[in-house]
Amino acid sequence: MNNPSSPRRPHGPGAYLLVVGASLVLGGLAGAASAFLGDQPGPVGTAVTAALVAAAMAAGFTVCVWWWRGIDEAAREAHKWAWWWGGSSGMSVGSVLLLTLMLRAEEQSLPAKLGSTPADIFVSGMMCILLFQLAGYTLAWAGWWLKHR
Amino acid sequence: MNNRLKVLRAERDWSQADLAEQLGVSRQTVNALETGRYDPSLPLAFKIARVFGQPIEAIFTED
Repeated sequence: MNNPSSPRRPHGPGAYLLVVGASLVLGGLAGAASAFLGDQPGPVGTAVTAALVAAAMAAGFTVCVWWWRGIDEAAREAHKWAWWWGGSSGMSVGSVLLLTLMLRAEEQSLPAKLGSTPADIFVSGMMCILLFQLAGYTLAWAGWWLKHR
Repeated sequence: MNNRLKVLRAERDWSQADLAEQLGVSRQTVNALETGRYDPSLPLAFKIARVFGQPIEAIFTED
């Protein structure tokens, strides 16, 4: 239990924006470094890229842990609830939508922006599901706080 | 769960922000507690009891 004599002020929206910003910067740095240092043929390039991405993710997780430990218990509960119900529901909706579109692929013409190679389309599908997941998460998070006002 | 947080806070003439600062939580959390829409964890309930100088069962009661 924390020391009651010196309660710490919980993190606010500024800290959340800091986490988002730090994640973007770390991702950008890892991407740029991979473009320069990982641009080698064979397993060396793959290993360098993997190492850079792993380092960026470790740094990102460290920032997330700092933020998570700094928010209060109701804020944590809102995020956990939103991730489970909103994130899972969003992922389900996105997955079903994508699978439905795939089953009717011969009748669809995919937008060129989704990519032309199987790998590009695979990544686009993942990003699409992630967007649904984040949309569900955001809605559920807002709903939790509205319900608990 | 019902609670007397709002009454106890009003008796001391504290704002929600004042209580939040003493508990180390956000004002939104204090509001959620007062309206009975969020039940605190045991550690937070003990902290609330300590801040008001009363036993937990004098602040929180079952529905």
